[in-house]
Amino acid sequence: MRCQRCGGLITNSFTRINGTLLCENCARELKVDDMFKRQATFFEQAFPMLGELTNGIMGTPSDLDFGNSKIKCPRCGTSLRELDSKGMLGCIECYNTYNETILKNILKKQGSSDYIGRKPGEIANIEVSEIPEEASPAPSVKVEVTPVNDSKPESNSSISVLDKIKDADWSTIPDNEIEAGMKAAAQAEDYQLAAKLRDELKSRKEGN
Amino acid sequence: MWYDAPGNNTDVVIGTKVVITRNIKGFPFVTKMTDSDKENVLGMVRQAGSQIGLDFVRTDELDDVARADIFNKGLVATSVVNGEDKYGILISKKEGVGVIVNSIDHISIVSLVPGDDVLLAYKRAEELAVHFEKNMDIAFSDKYGFLSPRISTVGTGVRVSVCVAIPGIEKTTGALPILTKRIEKYDWAMNAIANVDGSMRETSHYTINSVTTLGITEQELIDGANRLVADIIKLERSCRKNICAKKKVIVEDQFYRAYATLKYLRRADFSDAMTMIAWLRLGQDYIKHDDIDITWEKINKLTNMVRKNYDDYSRDRKVINNRPTQRAELIRSIMKGDIA
Ligand SMILES: [Zn+2]
Ligand SMILES: [Zn+2]
Repeated sequence: MRCQRCGGLITNSFTRINGTLLCENCARELKVDDMFKRQATFFEQAFPMLGELTNGIMGTPSDLDFGNSKIKCPRCGTSLRELDSKGMLGCIECYNTYNETILKNILKKQGSSDYIGRKPGEIANIEVSEIPEEASPAPSVKVEVTPVNDSKPESNSSISVLDKIKDADWSTIPDNEIEAGMKAAAQAEDYQLAAKLRDELKSRKEGN
Repeated sequence: MWYDAPGNNTDVVIGTKVVITRNIKGFPFVTKMTDSDKENVLGMVRQAGSQIGLDFVRTDELDDVARADIFNKGLVATSVVNGEDKYGILISKKEGVGVIVNSIDHISIVSLVPGDDVLLAYKRAEELAVHFEKNMDIAFSDKYGFLSPRISTVGTGVRVSVCVAIPGIEKTTGALPILTKRIEKYDWAMNAIANVDGSMRETSHYTINSVTTLGITEQELIDGANRLVADIIKLERSCRKNICAKKKVIVEDQFYRAYATLKYLRRADFSDAMTMIAWLRLGQDYIKHDDIDITWEKINKLTNMVRKNYDDYSRDRKVINNRPTQRAELIRSIMKGDIA
């Protein structure tokens, strides 16, 4: 089995996204390796994952040399490099500009390359079809109930972590305490502090 | 609010969302638009919307109260509602229906319905999409379908998202892999609703999202969604039943603890509250509890009202320190039945 993004042999685990088989590395790069760690945003955001996914799929340096490409959309000026970094087309003309180069490839990965949906202004006459009794397999599974802690462990400890962090000079505090503080701040719903601590951690990691 | 109406299968399905995106010919996509392009698009969409009675607001003219109000409807992201950019929002008189203008796509139609009803959510969004297609020059190609700056949505431009509560599956060893395989088979994606710091304590709430927009008809998309959701409901119910039979004492204990705690607590953080609500969900239909007053309406009300609201997200405003206290107060009054 080969990864459909990088072409590498799949030795370990794989992920299938939108019909595309991805190796572990590519899945990680596309941030789809562990969807359970990713935050869902049903109520407040429209599908951020899709945007990131495109971003990743479009960044296939093995197929195309973005650095040397001179291709630019004649109407909006979107370059291949820009397309790669932003994952966004700039205008309708981009579809013509990049038609033969990368779109074909990407759209193939989007499932099939032909549009078969409804035409503008028409209504899709959707019929409600009976759901066949193909049935999910009755789970022959072990029941496991995780007991819930009676006491709230964070109540005292997190407050003391927060007090320490709030007043301290952060450069004197080690990473693990900053991280603990970030979690404690989120627990205590002090999101402003949590965000600042997250940024602090991020800049430390980038600095290294 | 959209979630106040009764819905199908709300023991498992919290809500269904359909988003349809469209772009207007004659303008570049949003990232390449000038300010005057944006103004023109706002004006055109506003005009088309007013023909069918949609109210229009500009996000750059909203005050804080109005921002919170719009955000809490669940139709738009904080980045839009707080954005300094020239975004517009059209709000329908139908609960749960709105249109966002100039955010990634020129037009994003959002339709939210309570419970399990993909077709209804789709129809409401389609009605607006068809209106815009008839009254504006919408970017479309026979080859690619409806054009969008994002390759991931070119084609039908239709995406379905269903929010499900699956404590039974989560607590049953081996059940989650069964579910993810099934979702994979349909080429959908699944996301967990996580905490603000990105950590995943069990909250039992997930969204499943359609991915494919090209090479698929609207009918196929909706058929697939209905089948997948039916599978999830079936699997979750059988897991709940199983757990309640095999671990009766533990579930009873947790169910009653959750009930008592929610009824009297004075501070409630988001994830604790969600964990307790999940226990109520798990036991509600499968353990005996004649001596207390808990209904699916109450459980769904709790789920929808405890979720994060505008105050939890806005970064530049003062942190509201008494949020857990406020939330506890809200929970207590729902449990008492003061909020119908
Ligand atoms: Zn790969
Ligand atoms: Zn262009």
